[in-house]
Amino acid sequence: MGPFDGGVFDKRLQGGRAGAQLTVDAHGVHASTTAGDTFDVPARDCQLELGGASGRMWFCRTPDRQLTIYSEARGFAEALASLPNLSQPVAELRRHRRAESRRGVLFLLAALGMLIALGIAGYFGLDYAGRAAIEALPREADERIGRLAINSMDLGGPTVHDKTVTDAVNAIVARLAEHAPGDFEYQVRVLDAETVNAFALPGGQIVVYTGLIAKAEALDEVAGVLAHEIAHVTQRHGLQRIAQSLGVAGSLELLLGDLGGLSAIAVELMRAGALTSYGRDQEREADEQGVLTMHASGLDADGIARFFQKLQKEQDEMEIPEIFAWMSSHPDLDERIANVRAQIDSLGPVAEQPLEIDWDAVRRAVGPDAEAAGSAAEADATEKAPEQNADSKAGSKAKRRKR
Amino acid sequence: MESRIIDRPSFAHIRVDMSAGDRLVAESDAMASMTSNIQLKARFNGGLFRALVRRLFGGESLFVNEYSTDGTGHVILTQPTPGDIECLELRGNTLYLQGGAFIACEAGVKLGVGWAGLASLIGGEGLFRLKVGGHGKVWFGAYGGIFAREVEGEYIVDTGHLVAYEPSVSLRARLSGGLLSSFFSGEGLVTRVRGPGRIYLQTRSIAALAAWTNSHLV
Repeated sequence: MGPFDGGVFDKRLQGGRAGAQLTVDAHGVHASTTAGDTFDVPARDCQLELGGASGRMWFCRTPDRQLTIYSEARGFAEALASLPNLSQPVAELRRHRRAESRRGVLFLLAALGMLIALGIAGYFGLDYAGRAAIEALPREADERIGRLAINSMDLGGPTVHDKTVTDAVNAIVARLAEHAPGDFEYQVRVLDAETVNAFALPGGQIVVYTGLIAKAEALDEVAGVLAHEIAHVTQRHGLQRIAQSLGVAGSLELLLGDLGGLSAIAVELMRAGALTSYGRDQEREADEQGVLTMHASGLDADGIARFFQKLQKEQDEMEIPEIFAWMSSHPDLDERIANVRAQIDSLGPVAEQPLEIDWDAVRRAVGPDAEAAGSAAEADATEKAPEQNADSKAGSKAKRRKR
Repeated sequence: MESRIIDRPSFAHIRVDMSAGDRLVAESDAMASMTSNIQLKARFNGGLFRALVRRLFGGESLFVNEYSTDGTGHVILTQPTPGDIECLELRGNTLYLQGGAFIACEAGVKLGVGWAGLASLIGGEGLFRLKVGGHGKVWFGAYGGIFAREVEGEYIVDTGHLVAYEPSVSLRARLSGGLLSSFFSGEGLVTRVRGPGRIYLQTRSIAALAAWTNSHLV
């Protein structure tokens, strides 16, 4: 029977192998290569094997394994089975292969089931895994990512060096930092830009725009916004965002301490603007923690609610929402105002310890006639930050240690 | 047609001396230099559809270049990765190449794409593989050195190190050890190859280099 497309392994061939046309008859299996060499394995010597990349290749080998004739052509197995002493081995190998492929299918189904189960567990466990991974990371990770991020960002305005403004903002942050959880070192920059915005980066980099200061009628309003932003830092929301974008495998990697890949992703996220736009749950958590911090700091926690209201009102009246960047990244104001006020009510009365800052002077300093007002108001900011470095590019430093 | 592989193993390249009537088929972009009397003709890698299949699944390019000449001249061919190149003369037998390994072949060699199976995918070698058969020389390259091994019975190869194998060899993805040691040994999955037949291995793995590089970024 034949011919069948196949091949020969034999040391006598150049390279030890060649393609061949095979035939099967009562004497055994015969192969002839295109170069004209012929090989025969007598039926009584033929030791059968089944395998190959496809799993359907039949090998007929001499007992010393010096000569192997093989093929996966259709009909070759039937031809082998027609030989009296080979019909039994062919049937046995086929049975064996069927059993193996059944096992393979079962294994595949089991693996698929496990994969689906893992997927479901991963989906629900992702948040937990990310949080756990972040809890396990040292604070240096936050600081490193924050530094990387701020250096790779276009901040959109010159740094303000007017001590009236920087001292006031530093004083607020210092007070809040003292009563906020965690052990972060805050670096505050005040930038001169119209945008009503402030944001915090992992590790304690805080950026406040003069637009926000100008818009706030009372110190507590800015303090409220800053308390909210500090909460993003202390709750490590930035790293959580990174962890979420990493997925389960990335969270594991993070847990094992591969900061290299993490930082690269942080910078990517930063470019996409995702590191400072937090999820709804994170915003809610930052509101809650912000109110707690304000309360503990002896400041009027309602400031944040009043600021929300102000922004909402202005947005309704004027149609220039693009300068209200802080609000555009903080949606659902109605609900959040209600939540904040409900929380304040539940906290009970606060022993207010207002900061002694002439807020009007600060606002004048950032206003359109800032040059004139700046130096005059400087003396009014009485509470100073513990450490001052107003001339440095990085702005001033407010440092504290957890007790 | 005369050929030799120069500067082995690190920066191997192929010099093919051609005379009138010789034809050489090479992966597009494999040519580094050639004499001016060599004609280069780009054609689909075996018809549009097959070329597309090879491009999409075999990791090869859509076009291959065919070199020929009226006089005598030479072509220098090379590969993107630093590493060795192997030349194999096919005598009617077939060889499977992992995606991207193919560099060139003589005109008598047929190129095709075959389904490689899940074991190959899990082993990091891709779902499809390039199939070379027919008669003539085939050149394929690797990252690092290449060595051949005749496999009789079972042999274990780490993922990403298998460059080529004969159809008589079966592949199976397996854990390198138990579940835990597979994870912590850094070996993870391995490919269990079963002969008879020959396999070609590369001494370095691009995926391992990429992972190492990634861990040093930033």
